[in-house]
Amino acid sequence: MDLVDLISEKRFVGQEFLTWLWWKSEERGGVVALPGEGDIVVVFEKHMLLEYGEGDSNESLICRGLQTELQEARTGLLMGKKLEQARIQLVYNDYEWNFTMAAALMEFRNVKLPKTVGESGNNDNPEEREGMILERIFLFEELNRIVLELFRLFLQIRVGAEWREELQKIREWVSRAERA
Amino acid sequence: MGFIKGTASYVRFAVEGELPENIWDFIADRVVAFAFKDIDETYDEDSLGWVSVSNMFDTDFDYASYASGNYVTLSMRLDERKVSGAIVKKFVQKEEERIKKEKQIPKIPRSMRVEIKERVQNELMRKALPMPSVFDLCWNLENSTLLFFSTNKKAQALLEDLFKESFGMTIIQQIPYLCGEHILEEEDADKLVRITPDIFT
Repeated sequence: MDLVDLISEKRFVGQEFLTWLWWKSEERGGVVALPGEGDIVVVFEKHMLLEYGEGDSNESLICRGLQTELQEARTGLLMGKKLEQARIQLVYNDYEWNFTMAAALMEFRNVKLPKTVGESGNNDNPEEREGMILERIFLFEELNRIVLELFRLFLQIRVGAEWREELQKIREWVSRAERA
Repeated sequence: MGFIKGTASYVRFAVEGELPENIWDFIADRVVAFAFKDIDETYDEDSLGWVSVSNMFDTDFDYASYASGNYVTLSMRLDERKVSGAIVKKFVQKEEERIKKEKQIPKIPRSMRVEIKERVQNELMRKALPMPSVFDLCWNLENSTLLFFSTNKKAQALLEDLFKESFGMTIIQQIPYLCGEHILEEEDADKLVRITPDIFT
């Protein structure tokens, strides 16, 4: 299968991951336990985009606002829409990233790296400049590593026997949006 | 942008293919061979090539400035001469009017109109200043992945071609499904092929 077909046929993998991650983070009030790493803060905030349908019949719903207002987005899930984009705050080892995940293609958008001491350095000095570049590379790679670990955790459950049970819990969480 | 400073948007790619043993010599050679060539003083329509991440006028890469630890950091620069459709239309009409007057004819034959349009377009293109765009990348040599700092599809397609030409290796966008194949154990990856969308309500 070529990449174009793969992108459209397997869109759901990334979208289901993002939806699962949202549920997973809300289940413990914004904390997700990552095997081998410990607790990671994962908070869905401010901005979400949901999608429904494919190709020309594609509809989208944008939800903005404070966390509590994301109730609207959950109602969107209830209508069968899928989560395509979300603004996420991720905290691990005293580092805090803010980024928007575009799920279908796994694009990292508007990534705000953690604040570090090196930022005010003199960029005209080649050595300091290289240090700054290496630090930024480390912070990008660290974000990728954590997101991929979360994705691996999701996929292991998704392809395994426990998915039915997990899916049931997500469905209950989604349906609570209606009653809220 | 965003790799060096400020907020960044990027996508991940996997790099497929073997690097030769003398990796850094090979990279030095290929980066310079496919470095960006200025077209400000020519009439070329566009130009695509590598520049340094910290300076888009640096195509010499002194002291292997693209090397950061086990990473290669480069910018892909594209300079393009562009003329908007409205401008072409205006000057084509102007030229047609001039010819009609000069030759005292009420209408210009079709074949001549095609020729006028082509000529005017070429003239305008030569006068247009090349518009630069720069896209950063960061290539991890250890695990053969690459971050490309743009979500623009056209830029991604240009990168795929330039990378292949420069290094003889293919880059493949790591959409979630392909990424899953890489990070799962073989047994789980086999199961991934078979999953179908689920409904969350």
